[in-house]
Amino acid sequence: MTLYSTPDTDAVVAAENRPKALHRNRKGRGIGLAIGAGLLLIGLVVPYVVNDNFTMSLLVTSSLMSLMALGIGFLARYLGLFSLGHGAFYGCAAYAVAIATTNWGWGPLPAVIFGTVFGALVALIIGVLVVRASGFGFLMLTLALSQALYQMSNQTVMRPLTGAHDGKLITYTGNATFFGLSMSDMMDPGLFWPVAWVALVVTGVILWLFGRSRFGTTLEGIRENEERMRFSGFNTFRPRLAAFVLTGAAASLGGALFALNVGYISPDILSFGKAGDSLVAALIGGLGTLVGPVLGTFLFVYAQANFNFGGNIHLLTGVLLIVVLVFAPGGITGALTKPYRYWRAKLTQRGKGAEK
Amino acid sequence: MEQLLNGVALGALLMVLSSGLAMIYGLRGVANFAHGALYMLGAYLAYTVTERIGFGLALLVVPIALALVGVVLELVFFRPLQHRSHIELGLVTFGLAMMGERLVTLIWGEGTLRVLPPEFLQGTTSILGSDYPTYRLAIIVIALVMAAVLVLLLRFTTIGLHIRSASQDIETAAIMGIDANRVSLIVVSVGSALAGLAGTLAAPYISLNPGMGDVFLITSLIVVVVGGVGSIAGAMVAGMGVGIIQTIGAVYLPSFAVLLPYVLLVVVLLWRPQGLAGRKV
Amino acid sequence: MSVFEGSGVSVKYGAVTALDSVDIALEPGILHGVIGPNGAGKSTFIDALSGRKRVSSGRVTLDGEDITRRSPRWRRGHGVSRSFQRTSVFGSMTVREQLEMVARKNHEPDLDDVIETLALGDVTERVCSEIAYGTQRLVDLAISLVGRPRVVLLDEPCAGLVADESAQMLTHVRTLCKERNVAAMVVEHDVDGVFGNCDVITVLNLGKVLATGTPAEIRADETVIKAYLGSAA
Repeated sequence: MTLYSTPDTDAVVAAENRPKALHRNRKGRGIGLAIGAGLLLIGLVVPYVVNDNFTMSLLVTSSLMSLMALGIGFLARYLGLFSLGHGAFYGCAAYAVAIATTNWGWGPLPAVIFGTVFGALVALIIGVLVVRASGFGFLMLTLALSQALYQMSNQTVMRPLTGAHDGKLITYTGNATFFGLSMSDMMDPGLFWPVAWVALVVTGVILWLFGRSRFGTTLEGIRENEERMRFSGFNTFRPRLAAFVLTGAAASLGGALFALNVGYISPDILSFGKAGDSLVAALIGGLGTLVGPVLGTFLFVYAQANFNFGGNIHLLTGVLLIVVLVFAPGGITGALTKPYRYWRAKLTQRGKGAEK
Repeated sequence: MEQLLNGVALGALLMVLSSGLAMIYGLRGVANFAHGALYMLGAYLAYTVTERIGFGLALLVVPIALALVGVVLELVFFRPLQHRSHIELGLVTFGLAMMGERLVTLIWGEGTLRVLPPEFLQGTTSILGSDYPTYRLAIIVIALVMAAVLVLLLRFTTIGLHIRSASQDIETAAIMGIDANRVSLIVVSVGSALAGLAGTLAAPYISLNPGMGDVFLITSLIVVVVGGVGSIAGAMVAGMGVGIIQTIGAVYLPSFAVLLPYVLLVVVLLWRPQGLAGRKV
Repeated sequence: MSVFEGSGVSVKYGAVTALDSVDIALEPGILHGVIGPNGAGKSTFIDALSGRKRVSSGRVTLDGEDITRRSPRWRRGHGVSRSFQRTSVFGSMTVREQLEMVARKNHEPDLDDVIETLALGDVTERVCSEIAYGTQRLVDLAISLVGRPRVVLLDEPCAGLVADESAQMLTHVRTLCKERNVAAMVVEHDVDGVFGNCDVITVLNLGKVLATGTPAEIRADETVIKAYLGSAA
């Protein structure tokens, strides 16, 4: 066995949960976009319903972390790759925003764009090194390289840029605003919520469209049978790299907005626990559907805020992760949609019986 | 000279820890993410045993206790889940690591703990004219003896032969009449015992804190990958190499040294993807 | 000059020579069979010709151009395609999805024609991992044929098929080769099938060519009878 061996069949993305390249009819896309638009609108009402600032801040954090989980879920679903590296892009983007605003005096909007691009660039460099690997190789390489970035960010020589062990407080020059939000508005969860929610829904829809496109089918082909894809005339490296950078950019957007929202970058942001939490949340939520990782992240953030007596969250998530992997590999969404799939399978079977 | 010995001491610890990790990886195809938690548990158990009775006993008791933990791991997780995909089992060990580290913290607290080595190992010994902490020499000697014993067992005993053939190809080994379950039970418990030994040896050398497992886990994962996945000898050599490089690097390139293992990882993987001693595809 | 030629193709693993200076020339519309006992180097040969294994010495040419070092992807893009001994399909996709995917990449003008020729019409909407093994082998063949390749290298298309299916498969291959004027090579275990369908046969033994010729010539060749057919028949 080597790191670059062909992947095992990943039961984590259980066979029935794997994306089926749908017939790309316009109707399906229309329905999906309509659902996305509906979600977007419903979400915008949330601050008027939830008046409690604490809950609101949890929702904002969840949305931003969900951007990372969406990316991790997309990679797992379409390529069978499990990443412990997306925390690095999230963190690098956050640092990039902090450096651009605080050190270079940029406004928040250019800083967020810069942060997202920078995070995607880091994903590109790491991706070149890791996307050829599969299974454990990929898991360990993403872990090791993101740990390297973490170590680097905490070096004393990096102090002017990252603040090393002290973390970095974000300051702006002048009266900087972000879509009309002043600095204190950005840190108000109720006011920042629309930014976070729109980013999440739009990114979700974009990833969904990518998944349904030819690009998604190509990724699926690579996941199923990389060698046959090469012998069928496909470049199998570039699509994998593209998917890695795309999902890295999603995580980066989350990190960049997170930096604006909290105004302070803790030195732990790049640590391996952060990326691990996100992967675990995605697994618990279920990798079979687009919303699974998002659901998992919201639950994780909620649990972390409410059941984290002295740091017990990892005890809880550890147990939950094992239970999910052993008994319900499709995660929560997998378990929820099981009756539906069962019923649909029955119906189609009966339909076939009738034809004969 | 002193730095070189420090490097050898760190390398010796990495050797012991990584060879256990490599054994389990070779056999079950799973990078055991709980290995760092096992090492941490070993260190904390060594603290308690040393407080109550003495460090000498800890060296004996802790590996045995960890071997029992290994038996539980094998019987409850590895064996029932062996037909699942490797990556899935790996993620289960990831969950175990999260749980285990938290449990250790709940039992022993968040504070930093120190373990004192027995008195006759506390002083310094003069080597080639320079004084060197005796305990670190003891680490080197114990770890090297351990490694030698392991190599001899693997080379010259029947069970060693079975382990080596099962880590090459567990299915073929099973067809050849090797009881893969029995081999695996031995490997996982020996691997865990080695993690416990590494934890015990490290306890007086470092300070015990809740984050100690993660750091060593990542370094030893790198060691296993660099050494060549599934190769125990490769892991030993790479463990010693990484220990020395990191310690010497810390003297000459202080702000760059922590990155050296990662640089090494990338270089080795680009140059020789199967690792230094890895099998070819 | 033939469309596709391998000349002096050798593959070495360290000190072991798996393939020793093998020559082959494929012509459009001619079905070329490669047979030989186990370990003769048949699979290594097709891997070497298709770019899956590195050729130690010798060269592979397409229209006289040296393509020995070209990637599998380049070969497929220039009309050299292959199939695999172990069924190599895309399990989670429906038959139509995967054929469409490959068809788009290779500019197949008429996918339905391929589906019809291989009688896959009934299963196009089924998920590939759920259909019968024999049918999966046909899908595998279809993946290699999509995009009108000029050269097709088939690695034991009948492996694992029962006698009836096997005969049908080789008939399919022969028909496609003739109708589409493809230069086809088929590595096969089924000696009778190869004698019945192929125009030219190359016999490999211990990594070397024992003989090349028409089925009649091969049947009469004494070295072949001695080394291979004698024991098999």
